[in-house]
Amino acid sequence: MSQTQPAPGAPAPLVEMRGIEKHFGGVVAVNGVSLDLMPGEVVGVLGHNGAGKSCLMRILSGAMAPSHGEIRIGGEVVEMGSPQDARAHGVETIYQTLALADHLDAPANLFLGRELKTRFGNLDDKRMLAEARKVLATLNPNFTNLKDPVSSLSGGQRQVIAIARAIYFDVKILIMDEPTAALGPSETAMVADLIRKLRAQGIGIFLVSHDMHDVFDLCDRVVVMNKGKLVGAHPIDEVHKDDILSLIIKGELPTDWRPRNLEAAQ
Amino acid sequence: MANISQPSQGAWSRLLPSNSATAFHRVSALLTLAILVIAFAFASPAFLSVNNTLTILLQTSVIGLLGIGMTMVIITGGIDLSVGSVLALSGTVTGMMVKAGVPVVPAMMLGVCMGAACGLFNGFVVTKMKITPFVATLGMMLIARGAALQLTGAAPISQLGEAFGVLGNGALFRVVEMQPNGFPKVIFPGIPYPAILLVIVAIVASYMLRRRAIGRHIYATGSNEEAARLSGVLVDRTKLIAYTLSGALAGVAGNVLMSRLITAQPSEGVMYELDAIAAAVIGGASLMGGVGGISGTMIGAFIIGVLRNGLNMGGVSSFIQQIVIGFVVIGAVYIDQLRNRR
Ligand SMILES: Nc1ncnc2c1ncn2[C@@H]1O[C@H](COP(=O)(O)OP(=O)(O)OP(=O)(O)O)[C@@H](O)[C@H]1O
Ligand SMILES: [Mg+2]
Repeated sequence: MSQTQPAPGAPAPLVEMRGIEKHFGGVVAVNGVSLDLMPGEVVGVLGHNGAGKSCLMRILSGAMAPSHGEIRIGGEVVEMGSPQDARAHGVETIYQTLALADHLDAPANLFLGRELKTRFGNLDDKRMLAEARKVLATLNPNFTNLKDPVSSLSGGQRQVIAIARAIYFDVKILIMDEPTAALGPSETAMVADLIRKLRAQGIGIFLVSHDMHDVFDLCDRVVVMNKGKLVGAHPIDEVHKDDILSLIIKGELPTDWRPRNLEAAQ
Repeated sequence: MANISQPSQGAWSRLLPSNSATAFHRVSALLTLAILVIAFAFASPAFLSVNNTLTILLQTSVIGLLGIGMTMVIITGGIDLSVGSVLALSGTVTGMMVKAGVPVVPAMMLGVCMGAACGLFNGFVVTKMKITPFVATLGMMLIARGAALQLTGAAPISQLGEAFGVLGNGALFRVVEMQPNGFPKVIFPGIPYPAILLVIVAIVASYMLRRRAIGRHIYATGSNEEAARLSGVLVDRTKLIAYTLSGALAGVAGNVLMSRLITAQPSEGVMYELDAIAAAVIGGASLMGGVGGISGTMIGAFIIGVLRNGLNMGGVSSFIQQIVIGFVVIGAVYIDQLRNRR
């Protein structure tokens, strides 16, 4: 905890990513990105398609090994060698691809890799079903076909399973890679409520999204990636939608930009 | 958490296929089997005789043991082309041990270990060297067959003693009565050991696939390997286990077969891998991974066993048999797809 002592009184960052790079042959998907996440903070991660958002998030969730850079969690340098490592550090991820096993049902997917067992070590399908029913109901009360293979579920239902899987377990850092892409308005609102609730519990959240409205509604801070580089990081009240769009498209702020909250104060 | 213990009726329902699609497949496969049995019984009165039933049981037990291992590998999205050769290598190793003076039971265990080692090697090549299962197990198919032939100089090892033949020829509850004329009369032929072994292995495998975490991981790996990995499933370990079990079961099948012949035959089991694959596929396993089950494979093994035997009794040549079984495999998968497309 000694090297990066924050200002006295300020809480220590949950996550510190330093100089993260990811190369695929000649393609540089993530280029020297440094990024922090505070407890109870929601950071919006934006950028054009292929900007490197998912790669950066996958590196933090242990799904992808970085070419360079280091990750600290609670001040300690950690090796995210596998998704299990990340989970052990309290990092839970809702992947953009959802990462569901199509032939298994919702409870089996929810508990995949962390199955509940009876005292004889058998799968406790009954308890997994009951728990799944409970947590899925908080996100979508109409979720009833829990025993169907998830391949036969709708895109929104599948997304709800992926979200439920991330929040069911003990989460400290939540990565949400476009979690509402397939959701209807009421489910999206539920996810927004969920994000606020988790933030109030002191959980740090990375929210990857293309939805400007969601980002301004939910995030405390917004960072923008452009061609693998981090081109901007601003508290949400410092920027307007046009500023963000400019960062996403051109990789820079409008030439006449000044922090909007200062502007308003004048 | 008061309800951790299962009600008995719940435990049963878990042993049955979980959704209607697999249930439909199971019923249609069973129906096919029943029709085959009835047709062959009409065609040849000897078909339903006790002796012939025993023969079918014995033939099916070898296909069934191979098929169970194959099913686990196929569910992970792989294939094991080496089981026929591994069967031969394991049986030969056991035979050589027995010939060298090792007691039968430890010798057979060593033979099974030989099979497991071959399977472990398959798993290693697939997971660590990242070679596709088809190619990896094709290599093992040649390696194991070559090793079996080399070890024995391609000559069968015979005169392995009565104890070696017990597994393949013995039966539980066999009742034999000495007749006044000095000839033994079989009152009850008993349940052949290979059939008992098959039932035990099938129950254990089914339990493993349905009720244990490793089984769930086998399905998840075949269903979506990347998703399984991201969910924290140790995908490589899961595959290693599946291939090792397939190799070990090929070893068991090899011992059953060679014990039945009381001879270790290094050239035995050629093309058995295809029967095992056919049994799994007729039983509803998908070569795309994620789908399959032991009960289905058992029915598939019996369909093949009954077909082979019935056609034999009807005097149909082995060439025609191959043609028939080929069409049955295609037909079974086609019907399955028709149902899925609806
Ligand atoms: N496994 C991979 N192999 C090779 N290149 C990859 C791989 N994964 C991502 N890339 C490349 O890295 C770049 C960044 O991809 P990434 O998925 O992070 O984009 P993104 O910002 O999440 O885009 P989107 O908004 O479409 O989700 C892209 O150019 C992509 O082609
Ligand atoms: Mg993405």
